[in-house]
Amino acid sequence: MTDGPADAQQIAAELSETPPSSAVSLQMSVDNYLDVIRGVVDLFANKKEMDTIYVTATISSDAIRRVLEALDIDSSRVYFVDCISHIMMGAPAQQDEHTTLVESPTMLENLMLKVEYLIRRSQSKGKLVVIDSINSLAIHNSNWILSEFLHILVSGLRSRDAYTVILSVEEHSTPEISNMVNLVCDHGIRAGKKEA
Amino acid sequence: MPAKSADRERCQTGIEGLDTILYGGIPRANTVLLTGSCGTGKTSLALEFLIHGAIKGENSLFVSVTENSEKLLANIIPYKFFDRGLIKSGRLVFVDLPIMYERLGMSKPELSMEEIDLLVSAVGDLARELGTKRLVVDSITSVCYKLKTSEKIRDFILKLSKTLSDLGCTSILVGEVAAESHAYSSFGVEEAIADGVVLMANMERRGDLLRTLQVIKMRGTMHSRAKYVLDLTPVGVLLVPLLKGGSTA
Repeated sequence: MTDGPADAQQIAAELSETPPSSAVSLQMSVDNYLDVIRGVVDLFANKKEMDTIYVTATISSDAIRRVLEALDIDSSRVYFVDCISHIMMGAPAQQDEHTTLVESPTMLENLMLKVEYLIRRSQSKGKLVVIDSINSLAIHNSNWILSEFLHILVSGLRSRDAYTVILSVEEHSTPEISNMVNLVCDHGIRAGKKEA
Repeated sequence: MPAKSADRERCQTGIEGLDTILYGGIPRANTVLLTGSCGTGKTSLALEFLIHGAIKGENSLFVSVTENSEKLLANIIPYKFFDRGLIKSGRLVFVDLPIMYERLGMSKPELSMEEIDLLVSAVGDLARELGTKRLVVDSITSVCYKLKTSEKIRDFILKLSKTLSDLGCTSILVGEVAAESHAYSSFGVEEAIADGVVLMANMERRGDLLRTLQVIKMRGTMHSRAKYVLDLTPVGVLLVPLLKGGSTA
């Protein structure tokens, strides 16, 4: 874990220091979400010409796409696994090849399968999988199943030399969630408020 | 890479997850009952097994009982690895069983013992003629409806299985069971004769419906008996372990 809060540049720099197949815990404050997006997707993945598989369980893929547009970030290499639009009854009528829907964030196996599918489909040499966020997944799943999910997902991604970045929101985290993430991650970055 | 077990020669299904579950693939010349209720992905999986075989140069035969071959092809997931050239070259052949019935003069609703022998011979001759190394019958249940009795069903599957096995042909017999059924087959005979049983199901968990796959038995190899969740995708059938934390069974 870094000593102090990291901004977008720092996040990208720290991620760049980790080898492929790393799993990184990125703890952030709610206020730093945009820095995190810029650092992870733009300054890290896009700069390295990696495909990003962005698993969204917090806000819809449409909303994140709008955030990327507002930040002027190229989203052509970003592929969403959207676990939230269906249960919000807001799934788009037409699917595009950049968005794969999972009916519910409780369908963790299907989430893994969609990630696996996108990994296989990806032509890029490096791949990044972002889980946004572990706190949102924890709303819908017990810690037990979530732990098991993280373990299987991260192990699978390691074997495919893909980076995994697990986002957690400082304000919503519990010691159980932090332990769960720390168990599977080998690096930690904090963006945002420094703990007192 | 799937783990290998140093015993019988394997017929790799080409479905990575399944080959891993089977420690390298189906033991060559086995007859496997692929069973499950509707909408569980049986036909897609069976077809993928044949396509991978054809790509590897093994002649593959799909015997369609319930659906017209053209309709089947049109409806099947557009697999990225599927090439219509496999059909043109004869590596992948589709045969409609109702047409065979017609040519063999089997118009009655129930087949006699002699007609069963004739049908097995006809399928065997076709497989021999085509040099078939992989064969799928979809579905065996529909054939069994024409046999009526357990004795005839047992006799038919035993003879078919032996004929294909003698040809070195690895076969998948697709079976259908009712959604609420806990049995492996409609007639209770098929699973006892088959060398392997692969069960596909829809599993409900807290309102979510998951497609699952479980290898119940497979003669000639060690295998996982765990339940896996699958997805049918354009790159083929993908499998991940069922998360135990959420299992209701």
